[in-house]
Formats: sequence, structure tokens, C-alpha cells
Amino acid sequence: MPDTDLAEAMRVLRDEVLDTVSHGDREPPGTEVFEALLRALSIGGESVPGLDLSLHDAVARRLAWGDSEESVLADAELVFDRLLVSVDRALRDPADQMVVIEAATQVAVTVSRVVALAAVARAGRDRAARMREEMSHQQLQEVLEKQKATIQRLEHELTQDFR
Amino acid sequence: MTQPSPNMRVAGDSHVGKVRTTNEDALIIEPRAGLYAVLDGMGGANAGDIASQLARDTIRDFVLHRRTALPPKALLEAAITAGSSAVFTAARRHRERHGMGTTVVACLIVDPAHAVIAHVGDSRAYLLRDGRLSPLTRDHTIVEELVERGLLAAEEAERHPYKNVLSRNLGAKAEARIDTLDLELGPGDRLLLCSDGLHGYAAAEAIQYLLGSGDAPEHVAHDLIELALRGGGGDNVSTIVIEAPAAPPSSTQVVRTSGATAWWQHRHRFLEVASDTGLTRNPIVRGLLPQEALELVAASLCQAIYHDLEKSTGVNVWTFAQNLAAGWFERGGEWKAVRGLIDILGTSARTVVHDIRARDAELGYLLDVAVSRSLIVIELALGGLLAERLRQVDSDLIELQTTGADTAEHDTLETIEITERPSERFLDRPTIPFLRPDRPVTSAGESAEVLHAIAQAITIARGRLSPRAELAAQILIALEAVATDRGGNFAAAVLAARELYGVRPVDNAGVMPLFDAFDKARILTASSVHQLRAPQAVRARVLRALSVAHQRLVGATTGLVLEAVAPFSERLREFQAVTNELREAVAKAERRRADLERRFATIVDPSLPWGARGTTEW
Repeated sequence: MPDTDLAEAMRVLRDEVLDTVSHGDREPPGTEVFEALLRALSIGGESVPGLDLSLHDAVARRLAWGDSEESVLADAELVFDRLLVSVDRALRDPADQMVVIEAATQVAVTVSRVVALAAVARAGRDRAARMREEMSHQQLQEVLEKQKATIQRLEHELTQDFR
Repeated sequence: MTQPSPNMRVAGDSHVGKVRTTNEDALIIEPRAGLYAVLDGMGGANAGDIASQLARDTIRDFVLHRRTALPPKALLEAAITAGSSAVFTAARRHRERHGMGTTVVACLIVDPAHAVIAHVGDSRAYLLRDGRLSPLTRDHTIVEELVERGLLAAEEAERHPYKNVLSRNLGAKAEARIDTLDLELGPGDRLLLCSDGLHGYAAAEAIQYLLGSGDAPEHVAHDLIELALRGGGGDNVSTIVIEAPAAPPSSTQVVRTSGATAWWQHRHRFLEVASDTGLTRNPIVRGLLPQEALELVAASLCQAIYHDLEKSTGVNVWTFAQNLAAGWFERGGEWKAVRGLIDILGTSARTVVHDIRARDAELGYLLDVAVSRSLIVIELALGGLLAERLRQVDSDLIELQTTGADTAEHDTLETIEITERPSERFLDRPTIPFLRPDRPVTSAGESAEVLHAIAQAITIARGRLSPRAELAAQILIALEAVATDRGGNFAAAVLAARELYGVRPVDNAGVMPLFDAFDKARILTASSVHQLRAPQAVRARVLRALSVAHQRLVGATTGLVLEAVAPFSERLREFQAVTNELREAVAKAERRRADLERRFATIVDPSLPWGARGTTEW
């Protein structure tokens, strides 16, 4: 079966793989993985790692909306597992199965790479933010010391005046 | 003085230029003494060429006759002084030659690694090392002297009207002031001696380009002159190019080039010996015609060794041995036949090496080492396969023993009352200690055939992996462990991921190589599965198992990255909490200070109404 037909065949399995029924109108988690798989099957062949910008974009969007990296990873894994089961059942030809499995592995690995990249970038940002906090600590400590000195002086002067 | 190396390549050329009618330059190219020089004569009425030729002859004769009497540097200085004296004397004797003189830049090669450079005037010496051109001499001009003394800026010197007026030459005085330099020569270094007809009309970059072109010195010397002529050729131009012998090629290079070629030229001998020592009678090639057997087995190995020699790897030989033995074992073949065949091929290889060694001892020795390494790689590949087979046997034995023990226990329960006896399960006894696997050899979900095919696919992938791709090699090992894990859960993947992750910095440089290696391993395993000689359904199962293993392994590794990243966020949160506390303390202190200042203000100015006291200035 040509890869484009294979992509069509897989598109039919969307509801099954993404378990759309359980999620109602909401976009089911792991959609980005399934979409990336369809793209990989349509394009065919091996892509340069990390070149699937749409997948990067989709994962980044999920992270930006507050999903944790762990949940993105877990969803990808779930979709991958369901996909293998569906492939076993729906595709008779082992050659077709192999094409889909290869593409799915590629997508799963890319998701992991993107998540790892995002996590490492976040660590960098956190590290920089911590340094800013450290600097704030220093400045606040200095302000606090000055305030304490002022308060002491004012208290002393007030006592003197009352006397 | 040591004799200059015969490997030193030297060439020189000279041209009258496009403007002058006479060539007043002179060259010394004297390989016997290792003496090379460029002289640029000056003075009216054809005296310039006389001065340069006179100095040339004097210097050359001096060096040739006294080269054993003086150390190199002193010899060159004395020779140039003699040249200067000769020109000076000749100029005094002939009125029409009064004022003639010459520049000189001379190089005396002491040995292949040592030279002495001496110069007077504005003829120059350059050194080209590692593609970079650097001047070895400084022009003896009035302007240069002023720059050196700090009386003139370098930018001014470029535009100075007297920039070409020499401050020193041979012939102006009986004794010349000579600058000398001891120079260590490296392999492949190139020296250029030239008159100002070159460097005055050609850019240094162009000189560097031509000198570093790798062309033979005679071509370079000629091309440099062409360059000066194209730049105007306003003066006589002379060049001498001296090239130090290149470093001897490394043993790896020799094996890659001469060794591989010699091996390939002896391939017929290899086949002949293999045939004579009984390769065609080996059980593995039974059923094939003798010529076919030789082509399929001996010629293949010969070719594999040739490719490995060319690339200094053992990949091709490894694949050959794996394919040969795996195919034979799959057909239920005996180890003895493989051993016999490998011994025959080993003997053939050694005979060929022996023949080559008889002709060229040095090359033969290097080839002996390289071919022996290939033979060891074959043994290692066979060892790996045998280990796989033994694991399989071990696993079968465990299964048999477990089934047998269960049956025996069942019988015992039926006939005899329960008796306490120490557990002597086969599993608890080390059968083959070095193969006692920490990782189970069977998987609940996969058949023995699939497991065997997984091992084969991984072996093929490992064989195709570059020896430098260590991380990818580790990943392949981990993949096999996870794919064949009996538990089928995450534990094996997590353990393998921890081992792969090791200790690495939490940044792109630390983490990304791991994912790159994962990708490499994934592509390799997928293509190796396609190469398996198994039914497509089995291949699909193998790919599925390996893909799941891959996904688990990458997932677990990403989990480790997230784990490594977590402390950064925690630390940030801790710091943010402290910042908040400090802000609160500052706000509290601020309120206290404001309160005190209000009170202070009311004391200072009691006329303020109570309600407004302290609030006016806030």
C-alpha cells in the first residue's frame, strides 16, 4: 500500500487511537502525536530529527497552556501503545505494519526529544531566574539594613525629644 | 656540518622583468653544500649585475671550501662578509663601478630540521608553515630603521619617499652588518628567498597562496615570477623555493594505502591458498562448485579485509563472520565446520601477508598487524554468536528443568507424604557462570524465533555502527535488553536508561548527544530488521518489539532529564519564597519608618492639626 493510502488508512483509526469518545468535544490528549504520524506517513521516508516543526509547535503550545512535560510524555506513550494495538488489528500486511511502526517510533522519539529540549530550556530559564532572585535578595537585604538603621535613628531621636 | 637531506626539494628562477633591460639579480643554488641565496645587485653602468655575480661567486666558493671548518652560522656570516669585501674591493679598483653593491638573502641548510638564514638589504626570506606565511627577515632600509627606533610610524613608513633606500648592502663597506637567524624546520615547511622584484609587485596573500598550493617547488618558483610580472614586473625578480621533507606517513596511512593495495593485488594468491588448504571441501560450502565456494567465501573475506584495511575498521570482517556463522548455525550446522573454515581462511591470510613481507619487510610487518587484527575481529564475532547460542541452550535447559521439577513434585505429592528437602532447582545453580544473565533471555510475549531475530537484528546493527559511536552502541545493547525483557514492564527500560544517562550536564550539549544517538540507533535497527532473513511477519514482530523497546528507553531517558531538571524549579521556588519574605520584611520596616517619621513630624511642628499630622508629606 502506498504511504499516502496508509496515511488515509490510519486516519480512520483516529478515534480509536486517541480515544476521542472519552474526551467529548475537547481535543484528546496526544493529538499532536497522531497528527505527526499522519504527516510522517504522507511524507514518507526518514526526516531529519527535529525537523517536524509542527510537532515542536504543538508540544510547545501544550506546555505553554500549562500542561506538564510529564503529561505530554505520558500522552505520547499512551497514543503509541494504542497505535500498536490498532495497527496489529487493522493492517493485515506486515509490510504496512512495519511502515507505520517505524513512523510511530520516529514520532515518539521526536516527542521525547522536544520534551527533553523544553525541559532543558526551562532549567536554563529557572537557573537565570534564580540568579535574579539572588540579586533581589541582596538588594532587599541592603534596603532592610538601611531601614533598620533609619528606624533606630528615628526611635533614638524621638526618645531624646520626649526627654 | 651535517649533510643536507637529499629529500630537500629546491628550485629557483629569475626574470629580468618588464621594464629593465638587464637582470642584476643572481642566484646560488648549491645542493651539495645546502646553500641557497638570492642577490639583487645595484649601481649604474651595468655594475649591479657585476656586484651580485661577484658576491655570488665569492659566497659560494667560500662555503664550498670551508664548510667543514666553521660552524654553520659563522660560516655563512664569514662567506657574506667575504662577498662584501670582494665587491667593495672591486668597486674601489674600477672608477666606473664605484658605488656598486648588492643585497643578499642566503639560506644554509644544516640538516633537514635546521637552517641558518642571513640577509643584508631588502631581499627577503619567508617561511610557509601549516599554510601560513611569515616573514623571516626585516628589510634593511632607512625607513625601516627609523620605524624600529620609534622615529617613524609604520603607516608613515608605507608612504615615505625613501622607503626603498637601503641602509645596508654588500659592497658599501668592506665588512657588512649581517642579520642571521637559526631556524628549526618542520616537516613540509617551505622557505622562499626572493628579491624585491617579487614582494614589491605581488601581494603577500597571493605569495602565500602560491607557496601553499602544494605544487612542486619548480612550478611555484616559476608561478611566483609570473605573479610579479602580472603585478607590473617593474624590477628584476628572483625566487628560490626550498621545501623540507614531509613527515613520513603514519603506519595507519601506509596500511590504508600501500597495505590495502598490496593486499588486493595478492587476492588470487589468497584464493589459491584457500583452495589448496581445503576450503572447497568444508561442509559449509558443500553443494557449491569449487569456484563458487571460493568466490562466495574466500573472495568475500578477501574483499572485507581489503575494505577494512582501507578504512582502518573491522566492520566488514565482523559482518562477514556474523553472516557466515549465523547462516550456518541457523541451518543446524556444527561449530567444527565454522572453526575449520576460519582456520583455512586465517592460514590463507597469513600466507599472503608472509609473501608481502618477503618483498617489503616494513609494509609486511604493518600488514601483519592489521590482518591479525581482522582475524581477531572474526574470532570476536564468532564468540558473540556462540554466546548467543549458549544463552539459548541455557534458556532451553532452564525451561526443561523447570517443567521436569514440576512434574516430579506433582508425582511425589500423590505418592509420598510431603518431606522437607532443600531446593535444588536448576535455576538456582549457575550452569554457565559467565552467561548467567541478569537480563532474562525470554519474553513472555515473544516466541524464541522472534527473540533470536531480535538478537540478530541488533548484531547486524552493531556491525554497521562506526566504532566511534559508543553511545549508539550502548543504546543497541540496552535495546536488546529491553526488547527481550521477560517482565515486559518499565523496569528494564528505566535501569538501562539510568546506565545510558550516567552523569551529564543539564544543558543542550549534555542531553542532545543522547537523543542524536537514539535516532542513529533507531534508524540502524529499523534497517537491520529489513535485512533479516526471516519471514516478513517475523520481521514485523521484531520491529514492533524493538520499537516498543526504543520508545520505552527514550521515554525513560526523557523521564530522567525531567528528574534532573526538577531541582532547578524547586530551588527557584525556594528562592522566590525567601524573596517574598524579604519583601514583606521591607514593607513592614517601611511602615514602621513612616510611622516614626509621622510622629517625629508632629513633635517638630506641633501646630499641625492632629488629623493632618504626619500625613501632609506622605
